[in-house]
This record gives sequence, structure tokens and C-alpha cells, in this order.
Amino acid sequence: MTINGFLHPALAFIALAMALPFFRGKQWKWFLLIPPVIAIAVVFTATLGNFGVIPYLGNVLVLGRVDKLSLVFANVFAIQSLIGMIYALHMDDKAHHAAAALYVAGSFGCVFAGDYLSLFIFWELMAVASTFLVWLHRTKTSSAAGFRYFLFHMLGGLFLLGGLLLRYSEIGTFAFLPVDPQGMEYYDWLILIGFCVNAAVVPLHAWLPDAYPEATIPGAVFMCAFTTKTAVYVLARGFSGVYALAVAGTFMAVYGVLYASMENNARRILSYHIVSQVGYMVAGIGIGSAMCINGAVAHAYAHILYKGLLFMSVGTVLFAVGTADLDKLGGLVGKMPVVMLLYMVGAVSISGMPLFNGFVSKTMTITGAAESHHTLLAVGLEIAAVGTFLSVGIKLPYFAFWNKPAKTDIKLNPIPKNMYVAMGIAAFLCFAQGVYPQMLYKLLPFPVEYHPYTAWHLLQAAMLLSFTGAGFWIMRKVIVPHYGRNLDFDKLYRFIGNMGLLLVCRPIAWADSIWTTAYRVIGLKWLMDSAAGSSWFDRTGIDTVVDGTAYTVRNVGKAGARIQTGRLQDYLGLAVVIALCVYGLVWYFG
Amino acid sequence: MQEFAYPVLTVLVFFPLLSAVGLFFLKGDNTVRVYTLGVSIIELALSFPLFAGFKLESAAFQFVERMDWVKQWGVEYYLGTDGISFLMVVLTIAVLPLCVLCSWTYIQTRVKEFHFCLLFMTAACVGVFTALDLVLFYVFWEAMLVPMYLLIAVWGGPEKRYASLKFFLYTLAGSALLLVAIVAFRIAGGTFAIPELMEQNFTFNFQFWAFLALALAFAIKVPMFPFHTWLPAAHVQAPTAGSVILASVLLKMGTYGFLRFNLPLTPAASEYFAPFMIAISITGILYGGIVALGQNDIKKVIAYSSVGHMGFVTLGIFLFNQRGLEGALFQMLNHGITTGGLFMMIGAVYERSHSRELDDNLGLGKYMPAYMFFWGLFALSSFGFPGTNSFVGEILVFVGAFEQNPWIGALMVPGAMVAAAYMLRVSLKLAWGRPTSWKEWPDLNLREWTYLVIPAVFVLYIGLAPGLCFKVMDASLIKLEKDVKEGARVVAMEKEKPAEVALNSLKGIIK
Repeated sequence: MTINGFLHPALAFIALAMALPFFRGKQWKWFLLIPPVIAIAVVFTATLGNFGVIPYLGNVLVLGRVDKLSLVFANVFAIQSLIGMIYALHMDDKAHHAAAALYVAGSFGCVFAGDYLSLFIFWELMAVASTFLVWLHRTKTSSAAGFRYFLFHMLGGLFLLGGLLLRYSEIGTFAFLPVDPQGMEYYDWLILIGFCVNAAVVPLHAWLPDAYPEATIPGAVFMCAFTTKTAVYVLARGFSGVYALAVAGTFMAVYGVLYASMENNARRILSYHIVSQVGYMVAGIGIGSAMCINGAVAHAYAHILYKGLLFMSVGTVLFAVGTADLDKLGGLVGKMPVVMLLYMVGAVSISGMPLFNGFVSKTMTITGAAESHHTLLAVGLEIAAVGTFLSVGIKLPYFAFWNKPAKTDIKLNPIPKNMYVAMGIAAFLCFAQGVYPQMLYKLLPFPVEYHPYTAWHLLQAAMLLSFTGAGFWIMRKVIVPHYGRNLDFDKLYRFIGNMGLLLVCRPIAWADSIWTTAYRVIGLKWLMDSAAGSSWFDRTGIDTVVDGTAYTVRNVGKAGARIQTGRLQDYLGLAVVIALCVYGLVWYFG
Repeated sequence: MQEFAYPVLTVLVFFPLLSAVGLFFLKGDNTVRVYTLGVSIIELALSFPLFAGFKLESAAFQFVERMDWVKQWGVEYYLGTDGISFLMVVLTIAVLPLCVLCSWTYIQTRVKEFHFCLLFMTAACVGVFTALDLVLFYVFWEAMLVPMYLLIAVWGGPEKRYASLKFFLYTLAGSALLLVAIVAFRIAGGTFAIPELMEQNFTFNFQFWAFLALALAFAIKVPMFPFHTWLPAAHVQAPTAGSVILASVLLKMGTYGFLRFNLPLTPAASEYFAPFMIAISITGILYGGIVALGQNDIKKVIAYSSVGHMGFVTLGIFLFNQRGLEGALFQMLNHGITTGGLFMMIGAVYERSHSRELDDNLGLGKYMPAYMFFWGLFALSSFGFPGTNSFVGEILVFVGAFEQNPWIGALMVPGAMVAAAYMLRVSLKLAWGRPTSWKEWPDLNLREWTYLVIPAVFVLYIGLAPGLCFKVMDASLIKLEKDVKEGARVVAMEKEKPAEVALNSLKGIIK
């Protein structure tokens, strides 16, 4: 099947969102699967090139830049959108489906955007739509978290907008091209900050573990796939080789794992792991060698699949039990063995166990880092790998599915079939890519000369996983999760926000209320009084003159008529009086 | 001289007149209404050749018809249209069916005579906008007075006698001086034909007095401050259709007169008096707005707002630059559409509440959403909200004013703000006030939808895509601007001031 030109996948999703309110009956849910299927068809048949080129105000907007880099991200986005839509199929909330569709449309738009202006528009669409995925959870905490999420993304968007406009005024183009890592200008840094907000680069990351645990169950599945990975894409596109990113990425990888090991809420653990896993990608992009970029992209691809799977299975637990806090869970293995199995597929994938896709992608970045003599970075990334297996591979399932016997009075919500289908697809893909890495490698932007299944790599992985396992068994009593929230940068954001309210907004609001009172008491009253005064003047002032003239004429006429008595003697007398008056005047003046 | 197979303009003038005679052979009120509606639609169809044949790039008079009328006095039957009058002719013709529709249930007495007046009125108005002979113009000008007087005096409100007489006397007083000016032009220029008079250069003294005589007649008609008090009286007392024609068409005659006579015939005097005219225009804008703010009668608010809006038009005219003139002509068209729409809306609500007091029509937003939608649209347009038609006109006048002198522009700003204030005051109360009198009034019916949708479409069309209107008017306005500037340059001002000359000659008569 060839599609003439290029059908932008975002169009299908936007059309779905527009059409949703008009669907009636019961069968409309099947329509949800059409845009993902279209998107999959498009990405597998697309030809490379620039499509949707729009001249706009002397500039060129490119809506469809199709090359290997954008196509690999679009590929996984399309697959994940299908998985996510299947996972959400049981929901009746049309607003949720519309928000998800617009969100996916936004990320497709960003991936295919060839200029900063259209990128920005889709970027903001993503931010707005994903905020609704948080809000639609409809709890008090999710409202607050959604609001914080929105504010933070608007801030990031403003950095991006400021950067792209300043860049435009300096070099006169919106074209979205790679920067020279050695010659970055101030506006490039602004754009980079905007991207880093979405990539959850520490310390701009706290929105992620703040908001994702509060999102709806399928909403979190969507969000874990698209926002950070779109940011990874734009970083790979525009900022590969910027060394600061390599350092930041490594730091993220370790930092995220550290927090993940301490957390109690399963979805928050996974959220911190996004920070950590995106760290690998950011580090790979920052190093900038062909192998590292390949590794970053491959890791993004794999990560979307297994992190989606993890969020789905934890979401299923949340759906069934009603909580995702580890201290309240335990012993669920007997109640939901299939979910446990599917979860473990995701867990071993993220931990980089051979035969699963995390292994074929993660080691690529680490090897790339080592090969390009960034030993410190490689070591950091290895440490993060240990922490990943510890927290997601062992701790989370141990406390959720084993540890203590399940409460006897626990009553589970029945799990809809579509959830199992979605998780099954994701688990299959994680396994298939692990067994057959070429499936993933042939999509990558650079030719791949890396072989994951060498003796050394396998030994490395086995050592790492087994020592971590042994360590956990020794420490299992010490690291029992506790209820509560750990201190992170979001406290700092909130502190800054509250201080802003206190120092800036309150005094201004106070001054404004005084000004409003003054305006109402003095300004408005003066205006209305002068209006009433003018109105009075119009009626009595001008009209007195105008109407008065008319009345005077009429009265003079009436007087004239009264003089016309018809008696000759009256006329003679009048004539004599007038003649005397005229004579007197002539005599006086003449 | 005809460019078309048949005399288009003559047909447009006389078709309504002849059809009006047909009314007297009809029976039944509804028959009369349907008949008049049919006539108005045919009239609209007859104007189609006007659209088809109008040459956009030409500044010359088009569709010219010329023949002798009274040969021994040189009076001619001379019609034609150009970019200045074209839109006004179209506006006049387009308003007629709307007037018929909005009077469908409003007028219940003497229905036949009412529609006769409407048709007669349309004929006279088209005549005014197309006449190119001074005497012919004067005839149409006076002819239009009579039906308007009748509309107010017969179908008006409680104070109809006062209002109609005031309207009649005011306008007649102005036209007396207009007649004097016409005779003077005949003596000085030797012809009544306007295009030929435009070619001539008159002495400054002559232009001085001719300008004043013409300007008084037109200023009353516009109306400019302080000659405006007939307007609120007439508007409030007139029936809806009367108000609509008055606002949409009659007021435009004054400003059209400035554009057609004062500027081309007395360019030097126009330039001499421009600062004065600008001053009273700005006074009108501010004064009209402030007084409108103080009214509690909705119709009076809109009537006084007309004073302000027409102030923008006269201001634009006397800026003598391209933007100002375009803005003036746009504002004439826009005021016709928007204010016409607002008066029809007031008529619609009056038919429900039988009151025009603001306090009797509060809180309609909840019960009559469609009504409030249209009101909101026209109100936004009225104070020049971006995206609506009036914004285009107002911004052009603003640009013209700032080009001429930033202080003029600065003085206009409060006028535009007051416009927002009075429209929002009325609109907020209408929409969200605490309902006091609402009694199961229905929302708009199909007939009301019809006559409101048409202006609403033009509000948005001209607001969003004004290009076509620019094309229609630009050629003529560029020529006008050039002629005025050249004409003013040719005639050097004489040493003696015109007023002194007049005083001296008066003394001469006495001695």
C-alpha cells in the first residue's frame, strides 16, 4: 500500500478528537483504534522527504519532515498509541479519549515538524492535552498536580518560544536544524532549556514524578511514552554532541534510580525510572557518537514499550486493588498471576536482562560511552543499571506480589480483557525485539555495527543481575517501603511559587484593589455624572436654543396675526407710530 | 452615454416608485407586505447589473445617463455612480427588504400607506446618491423628507408630533441654504452639472460662502454637534423601519454631501475650514459618547452613539488623506449595517416588552440566547471590536488621524473608549441584569433570524475580508484626494478676509 504523498498521522488523531462528541450508541469505541492503525500504516509505508511545506509570512513551515530519525520515533509512537488505545478501550469518558488523541497528535506533529514554529504549536498542544489526562483522574490531588504540571510546562514552552523568536530575529529562519555544539548561542541555550523541561532533566524533572502518579490509569500509560520521548527526539535532532547533556544524562540516570529505590508508590517508582532511563538517552545524545545516538534512539524505542508495559501492569493493580502504595500491597501473586508475569517481562526488560529488548538497547549506549573514552559516564550508567534492577526488577514486585500474605478481606475489581490484550502485545514486542535485535536495529538512523549477544556482554549482565539479587536478599528487611513522600526539587518549585505569591502577587493585589476602589468611586462616578450632566445639557441647553427659536418664530407669527384686526383706524395708528419711530432714528443717527 | 443596454440607475430609482402606485390596487395587510417584500427583492435583483458592470479601477462616473430636463434653465436629468456613491446605493437597496421584514408585525395600522412611504423613500434615496445635477439632487433631497416625516408623524411613538416637526424644520432650514448655494454655483459656474463644476476653480471668497452654505445643510443631516438634537427625538419616536432607514441611509446623505460637493467644489475653503470641522467632529465623538452613556432609553443610547460614529466619518473626511477618506467611507457603510441591525434588535425586543427602557428589558441572556448572540455581535461591532466591520473603518480613521497629527489621534482615543463603555453598559444589563419584566417571551422567530443574519454576515465579512470594498472605493478616493489638494493649491487665498469683504459690502448696501 502506498499513500500518495504523506498522510500526517496527527490529522487522523485530531479528526478523532473532533468527531468524538458526535458519536452515539455503544459501538463508537472501535473508532478509537482507527487513527493508530492509520498511523502504523503510514509509518511503515512512508517515503523519505519533506511534505506539507507551507509558505507563511515569508517563511517556510514544514509539517512533514520524514527522515530516518523522525520515522523511528513515529514508528514506536504509532505502535504505542495502538497499545494505549486498546488499554483505554473500556473507558466511557469521551473527554479522556479526546485528550489522549490530541496528545498523541501533538507528539506526532512535533516529530514530523521541520521548523520551530510548527514544533512549538504541537509542543503546546501536547502540554495542554496531557494536562487533561491528569485532571481527568478527578481527585483533589490530581487537580493540584495537574495545575503544577501545566504551569511547569508553560514555563518550559515559554523558554522554547523565547529562544525560537530570538533565534529568528538573529538569523532570520525558523528551520529546525542541528546546532554546532561548539558554537551554541544564547538563544540555543534557551531552546535547550525548553526541551530539557520536557525531557525531565534534573533539576527540571520534578513535575514528572509529581504528575504521573496522579494521572488516570491509561493516561499515565500514554504520558510515560510520549512527552519525554518527544523531548529525546528533539534533543537528538537539534542538540546531539552537546557535552553538558552527557553529564546531565548520567546524573539523571543515577538520581532517578536513587529516588526510585526510596519510593513507596509503585507509579512514582516507575516515574523516577523514567527520569533515570531518559538519562541514558540524554547521555547518549550528549556524547553524540553514531553508536551513542543509535543507542539513545534504540533505548527510547525499547523504553516506550517496556515502560508502557510496566505502567499498564501497575495500573492494572491500581485498577483492581485501588492503591499503588507498596506498604498497602503484598501477596497478590495468587490473585493475579498473569499480571505478575506481564509485569515481570517489563521489569526484566528495563533491567537489561538478555533475551529482552532492554538488553539490546541499554548496553549499546554504555558500550558507546566506554568506546568514546567517557569512562566516568559509563561507570555512572552501570551503577544506574544496578539500581534499576534493584528497584523495579526486585523491590517493586517483591513488595507488591509477595512479601506478606494478601489481606483476606481484599476484594478485587474485575480486570477488563482489553487491558490484558494491550499488555500482551507490549510484552510480546519486548521479548521479540530482545530475541531478534535486527527488528529494532534496522530502524535506527545510523548503520549498526553492534552485537549485543557476545560472551562478555552476557557475562556482564549475569554478574550484574545476580549480585544485585543477592544484595537485595540480604537487605530486604532494611529497605521495607514506608508511606510518605521524599524531598525532591518539587518542594523547591513550590517554595519559589509560594514566595512569588507572597512577595509579588499579594502586594500587587492589594494595590490593585485600592486602585479598583478608586476607579469605581472616583473615576466611574465622575464619568457617569458627566454623562448625566451632558445629557441634561443636551435636553435643556441645546434644545432650549433650538426649540426656543422655533417657538419665538411661532409667537412672533401669532403676535403678527393678533395685530391684523381688520380695523382701518388700528392700521393707521400703527403706521403713524412706526413712521415716527423711523423718523426719530434717522434724525438721531443721521 | 449609456454603458449598459438599459438605463440601470433610472430603473433603480423609478421601479420602487411605480411599484408603490401598485399598492393602492391591493387588498389585505398581508398581501401588501408580501407584495412590498417581493418588490424589494426584485429591486435588489435589478441592482445586479450594477455589480456586474462596475469597473473597479476606474475613478470616472459610471452608468451615466444624461438628457435635458428643463432646457431653458440648463437643468438636466443626469445620473451616475462612482466608488463613493456605489456602496451607498447598494446599502440603500439592501436595507429595504430588511425594513419590510422588521415591520411585519410591528406596523398594524395604515399598512398600505406605510409601505408606500418605504418605497417612495427608497426611490428618493437612490436618487440622492446617484444624481449628478444639482437641481435633480435637490429635488430628491427634498422628496425624501416627506415620507420620513410621515413615517414618524403617523406611525411614531407618543411624542411623534414634536419629533416629526423638529426633524422636518431642522432639515428644511438646512436645505434652504443648500438651495442658495445651488443657485450661486449656477451663476458662478454656468451649469448645474456636478462633474463639470468640479473642473472649475472658483475664487476663494466664493468658495468660503458656498462651503458654509453647503456645510450647514449637510452638518444638520449628518448630524454634527451641535445640530444633532433632532436625531434622538426622531429616532426614539420613529417606528423600527423608520429608525433603520434614518440611521442606515439618511445620515449618510450628509457625509455623502461633504464628499460629493464640499471637497471637490470648494477645495480651498474645505482646507481652510478643516481644523474647525475636525474640532467639531471630535467634539461630536466625545459628546455623543458621553451623552449616550447617560441614557436609560436603549434607542436613545443608539441614537446618540450615531452622533459619535458619524463624528468619526466627518473626521475622516476632513483629514484629507487616503486612509482618512477610506475610513470615512467604510464607517458610513459599517454604521449603516451595524446601527441598522441594532435598531432592528430594539424593535424586536420592543414588540415583546412594549418598552424601550433599559430597566424593563433586563436579564434576557438566559431566556433569549439567540437574541443576545446577535445583540452581542452588533454591540461588539458598534464599538469597533477587531474582526468586525467597524474596526476596519475606525482603525483607518485612526491611522489617518495619527498621520495628520498625533494629537487628533490622541483625542479620538477616549471617544473609542466611551463607545465601549456605553455599549457594554447596555449589553451587560440586557444580558445579565436581574430580570424584572420577562414573561415567557419567545426567542427569535424565523423572520427575525432572517433579517438579523443578513447584517450579521456582513459585519463579519467586511470585518474579516474588507479587500473588495477597498477596491470599489480606492480609485475614486485617490482621485478625490488629488483633486482637493490641487484645487486648494490653485486658488490662492485673497488678502482680504472673506468676513471683512462681506461686512464691507454690507456697509456699502446701507450707505
